[in-house]
Amino acid sequence: MIKSFILWLLAILLAPFFSAIILKVKAFFGGKKGPPLLINYYTLIKLFKKGSVYSTSTTFMFKLGPIVSLCSAVSVLMFLPIAGVPPIFSFNGDVIFVLYILGLGRFFTIAAAMDTASPFEGMGAAREAYFPIICEAATFMILIFFYRLTNELNLSAYFTGQNTMGLWHSAGAHLVFIVFAFFIILLTENSRVPADDPATHLELTMIHEVMVLDHSGPDLGLIELGSFCKLFFYSTIVSRLILPFNSDIAILNFGLYIMGLVIVYGAIGVVESIVARFRMDKVPQFVLTSFALAFFATILTLEFIK
Amino acid sequence: MSQFFVSILIILSGGFLSILLAPHLKSAKIIAVFLLCAGCVWGLIDAVTKLFQSGTYVGSFPYLNVFSLDFQIDGVSAFFLLTIFAISLVASFYSYHYMDHEKNAVKTGINYFFFSILISAMALVVTASNIISFMLSWEIMSLSSFFLVIYNHHSAENRRAGYLYFIFSHVGAMFIFAAFGIIYTYTGNFGFGPMDAIPETAKILIFIFSFIGFGSKAGVFPFHVWLPYAHPAAPSHISAVMSGVMIKTGIYGIIRMYMLLNFHTPVFGNILLVAGAVSGVLGVLYALGQHDLKQLLAYHSVENIGIILIGLGLGMIGISSENPVMAVLGFTGGFLHILNHCIFKSLLFMGAGMVLHQTGTSSIDALGGLLKRMKITGVTFIIGSLAISGLPLFNGFVGEFFIYVGGFKGIALEKSALFMSMLGIISLAVIGGLALACFTKVVGVVFQGEPRSKAGENIKEQGATMLISMSILALACLLIGLFPDLIIQLPIKAVSALGLKFAPAAFDPILQITGNISLAAMIFLLLFILVAGIRFFLYKGKTITASGTWGCGFTQPTVKMQYTGSSYASFLLDFFRPVAPLEETHVKIAGRFPIKTYYHSHVNDIAQIYMNRVIVTPVLFFFDKLRWIQHGDIHLYIGYILLAIILLLFFI
Repeated sequence: MIKSFILWLLAILLAPFFSAIILKVKAFFGGKKGPPLLINYYTLIKLFKKGSVYSTSTTFMFKLGPIVSLCSAVSVLMFLPIAGVPPIFSFNGDVIFVLYILGLGRFFTIAAAMDTASPFEGMGAAREAYFPIICEAATFMILIFFYRLTNELNLSAYFTGQNTMGLWHSAGAHLVFIVFAFFIILLTENSRVPADDPATHLELTMIHEVMVLDHSGPDLGLIELGSFCKLFFYSTIVSRLILPFNSDIAILNFGLYIMGLVIVYGAIGVVESIVARFRMDKVPQFVLTSFALAFFATILTLEFIK
Repeated sequence: MSQFFVSILIILSGGFLSILLAPHLKSAKIIAVFLLCAGCVWGLIDAVTKLFQSGTYVGSFPYLNVFSLDFQIDGVSAFFLLTIFAISLVASFYSYHYMDHEKNAVKTGINYFFFSILISAMALVVTASNIISFMLSWEIMSLSSFFLVIYNHHSAENRRAGYLYFIFSHVGAMFIFAAFGIIYTYTGNFGFGPMDAIPETAKILIFIFSFIGFGSKAGVFPFHVWLPYAHPAAPSHISAVMSGVMIKTGIYGIIRMYMLLNFHTPVFGNILLVAGAVSGVLGVLYALGQHDLKQLLAYHSVENIGIILIGLGLGMIGISSENPVMAVLGFTGGFLHILNHCIFKSLLFMGAGMVLHQTGTSSIDALGGLLKRMKITGVTFIIGSLAISGLPLFNGFVGEFFIYVGGFKGIALEKSALFMSMLGIISLAVIGGLALACFTKVVGVVFQGEPRSKAGENIKEQGATMLISMSILALACLLIGLFPDLIIQLPIKAVSALGLKFAPAAFDPILQITGNISLAAMIFLLLFILVAGIRFFLYKGKTITASGTWGCGFTQPTVKMQYTGSSYASFLLDFFRPVAPLEETHVKIAGRFPIKTYYHSHVNDIAQIYMNRVIVTPVLFFFDKLRWIQHGDIHLYIGYILLAIILLLFFI
């Protein structure tokens, strides 16, 4: 329990660091030196030191947005086994709760964006409401797949200790599909290229970044921290899926886990460097690919269980 | 049973007195509201006690040995009575100030008169225990609500809505008649007695007929066409009752039929689940495309009926595949969602009523920024939106959670049960996402931003009873979401009364789940307080400046530049174009000095399109050909009667 709690705190503290790996990889591909690995901490500290400017159009919903979105990202980490260690809380059906808590965060992010009366933020909000619908369907398809294998409906049954290795043993080939499907969901849910470009310069083409245009100071800091944590949540799952090995030596497990994370964040960086972002109306097709992959994986399980 | 009839009498007396005392507008209204509320409280207490005593109570009124009107209250009836009385209570209370703008005393009286009949008829429908008393109550319910729909009969649109509702409820009633007719041919009496004598194919036919009949009342796709017209036409407290509880009598009919037939084939579950998935997804999709607040909410009823049907369908599949845990989860989820939906849907309709009352419009794109001017309405409406989107901490989530868990139990099964469960889960996920999109649109466009027209400016919220009613319902949404343990016994009692002989152990997972939901919600709340505290600390002693919204370099923004509800939804609707064809009319902008232009968009409901094409047009054509029969000559009409009698003599 205490170990899980410490890991949870570590996850929140380390999330900004890993996000900087993406920037480093992108800089490498661009032939640049890139920002320091601690850049996100400097940004957060800078933001936390500032005051804020609020639009006269906004209400209390605008201030609730950052709090709830950070809360949702931080609370889902509590249900996630980090480095194979059982999570702080786990119960039958916690996956559904986790997905819906992320939905709650999204509701408030969108509400905060709509609060500003800005057409740009409205546009971003409409997209933010749209793509996750397909993501959610794909995520539930993956859950159905996991349920077929384990008969369990909680994250710790999939990612704790030997369990992930068990998944590979019972359905290794299918799990390759799932890894790709989940990686696509990761990219879309966390507004990465090719679904969205966090570094674009034009407000019209943004999704997530345009929604936080009016947030400033500590509020913006909370949002940033929330999105680091959310990316960390998804990356942890992929990391665990690609390196499912579990040994009795805790430090080795932890090392493997960190390695997995570096691979995932590196992969995000590589994708961002070599793929151009899709046209807005192509994004749903991209996400539907992930649904199709998960669906096929599930169909394949029907055969082998017989 | 007498307690129940006393409450009905009190409610009816309220309605009659309001007509008798109509010349004294104020006192008539006070007496009517008081008696309606008193009757509902009485009935509510009675329903709760009966639900917990889990017995069966019978009352019978024989008429001249020809037939008798039988009524019976069991667990299922008591559960529905509870929702009916609870929501009617709040709605009657709400109506006191909502009816303020009605200066015509007679119309006010008529409103309360039919309202009292509607409440009583709904209560009688769910307690009726033979064919005659059921159909009688059913027709009274349909007719009284018809008169409430055409309450504002001066507008041609409302009359048309009423007419549509009238046709649908009677075609639906015909199907129910047909189902009862088949039952009668086998059992030979009017009672809802044992139906073991009926062959299985006939049972399936009965179920399908009654599903169409009850489905058209419940608003199941594609029989929902009347719903988005009728609900907005009625006054808001009536919309709240109609959408919150009246359409549930259709669900009650389906459940009662399932209990009576006592035939556990997977077909029933599959029908319900597929109908639920289609209604759910398409209902919320069409809701997203609406421009009128009340019409949007009406389409959401179609969606929520879909969710309820998915739950019940999973329950029936659980029964037919002998998986009691799945069955209990599905049924409990369905029943719980019935309860939750009536709370948040009536809350939302009441909020929409307040908006309509104060601004005079319910057009989404004409409003904006109401949250600043209507604090309580805004906050309660946001709570209702969160609840209907099925998000945690609010009640909508709890029911959906049970349905999800029940659906996942079905994933372990094989063949059709597996695919049905998959369909249920995926459509629930899509419905959840779409509902979130839809309600961020409503909250974002109506309550946030800046007013888009004169209607939204300089308004304030009024009417203590309206505000109190909404606050109570919002509080209920939050309490049930945080502590589902408080009310979980209600659906459990109703499910155990289904007569499906579950082992008590099958209910164990449910109590665990409610505890877990509370725990998880508490964790989230604690974190919320923690983060809010950190935020407070970070802002200590900082300079806070107010300024205009950042226009990305543009310095002269106007309110017209805001994103509208139509633009918010258009991107999403585009993806679903095959099932939600968008009709757009606008003048193309050309030249250096373009002329004044306009844009109008409308999402077409495919049920409406096809029903028009396949049923309405041919029927009209056929009847047009028979017009010569109606020629206005009374002598020939008497001849018809004579002819009919002679023909009948051959058959009897």
